[in-house]
Amino acid sequence: MATISELTRVLQFGDSLLPIGAFSFSNGLESAVQGGVVRDVASLREFVLAAVEQSANADGLALLAAHRAAAAGDAPGIDRADRAVIERKLNEEMRTMTLRMGRKLAELAERLLGRSTASASWLDRIKAGATPGTLPTAQALVFADLGLSERDAFAVHQYGVATMMINAALRLMRIHYLDVQAILFEANGLAEPSYARAAALGLDDMYAFAPEYDVLASLHVQAHVRMFMN
Amino acid sequence: MNLAPTPHELLPYLDEPPQHPVGGFGKVPMLRLRFERRGERSILASMERRAPLLVLKTLYCDEGMPELPVVYVISNSGGILQGDRYTMDFAVAADAFAHVTSQSATKIHEMDVNHASQIQTITLEDGAYLEYLPEPVIPFARSRFLMRTDVEIAPSATLLYGEILMAGRKYYGEGELFKFDVYSCAVHAKRPDGSPLFVEKYLIEPARSAVARAGVMGDYHVYGNVLLLTPPAVADAVAARAVTGWNRGEGWAAGVSRLPNSAGLIYKILARESEPVRQMVRDFWTVVRAEAVGRPVHRKFPWR
Repeated sequence: MATISELTRVLQFGDSLLPIGAFSFSNGLESAVQGGVVRDVASLREFVLAAVEQSANADGLALLAAHRAAAAGDAPGIDRADRAVIERKLNEEMRTMTLRMGRKLAELAERLLGRSTASASWLDRIKAGATPGTLPTAQALVFADLGLSERDAFAVHQYGVATMMINAALRLMRIHYLDVQAILFEANGLAEPSYARAAALGLDDMYAFAPEYDVLASLHVQAHVRMFMN
Repeated sequence: MNLAPTPHELLPYLDEPPQHPVGGFGKVPMLRLRFERRGERSILASMERRAPLLVLKTLYCDEGMPELPVVYVISNSGGILQGDRYTMDFAVAADAFAHVTSQSATKIHEMDVNHASQIQTITLEDGAYLEYLPEPVIPFARSRFLMRTDVEIAPSATLLYGEILMAGRKYYGEGELFKFDVYSCAVHAKRPDGSPLFVEKYLIEPARSAVARAGVMGDYHVYGNVLLLTPPAVADAVAARAVTGWNRGEGWAAGVSRLPNSAGLIYKILARESEPVRQMVRDFWTVVRAEAVGRPVHRKFPWR
């Protein structure tokens, strides 16, 4: 059973209001709504659950690799996981999102946890241009610094993807807040089997298959009217 | 016999085919092509093959670019079968150019044991230009297929590599849409000095993860995935002219993204039938050839 301080740290670093920029991104939802792919609760549910699954199979594997490297004091291993994320983000907006949030989380951790941590030395490597600085790597390192498990880090990562899209949905669609909470609840329930599967895989296994999502993300980059950043 | 380490998704499919063991005669097709520059033209300078793969004699049949060697890859086996292990190796020497395509759609037959794989290596030296545009791939029900492509490309070279994946034999029987077991496809690209450019791995396991849902394939059945690895100036010019949009009325969607490490572009197309995707790949190819080598694409052959 987690102690109160462990539990509250998971809550703080998993909070969708953590100031790392999640509120500025919709993770592809804005163009999905504009394109009519997401138009009601049922299609929003499909889209969010698909995004959460993609995230577990791609970024989730890098997060676990980075957490394991941090636990072993293996800085090159951390950077290998970090590069694996950015080399597989084939859309510029997705790269911007992960880099901006990764760096902000590392900066926040430096303020809260001090300089003698894995995340602080990783932030130095980001500033020196030695590693890209992606969000899943940042989450892995901060959780390792806090003495929290890879399982906790994975859960918070999956939760973050779902809440970012849920919060964007409330601003983009005419939709009831109880309906989106039901989607979030369902997405959270999928994280356990996703972790069990991801924990047995490695960086070379990272994959995705979401062509609609990819096309929508590329159209968002070109869009002139939008609420969310790219 | 395995020519690449087996990834987790194919571990359930390693049982031996009773008709022909993996690695036996006709089960390890190989094709190795090397193109070189000779004056104004490029030629197919060397070719090695192992049955059932072969190539048609090099043709100079492209009226838009008559100095371009066009090579049709042919298989006399009628399709890809369980236990097949294909390897293909295409190299284009400095300042040479080539076009490689296939005879017809690649049929990946139904399987009840084992799997099939195709391991490709593509090497482009300084200033090389390769168009690799095979016909669509049709994975039949219960097929398991692994495709791995390693690309090594010089910063001044251009590779246009387009794949079209069908859902299956859409109009066969009850309609065969995403009934295959596994379709696993990965491209790893790097520079000649070994510095990595990007990785794309997509894995489709329809029984594990539904394909016909929002964000994945929605109600589309054909997926065009086109890589353009090229210097940034060409990438910018092509991105500005590529046809993109989400067109519900005409039933297609397409978007172009910039690859990491200034490697070039990736162009993705979705539609319900193969023809709109083929046409859009062709339109994109026309823009690429104009921007990369300043030449037009020939008119469509009536029989293709």
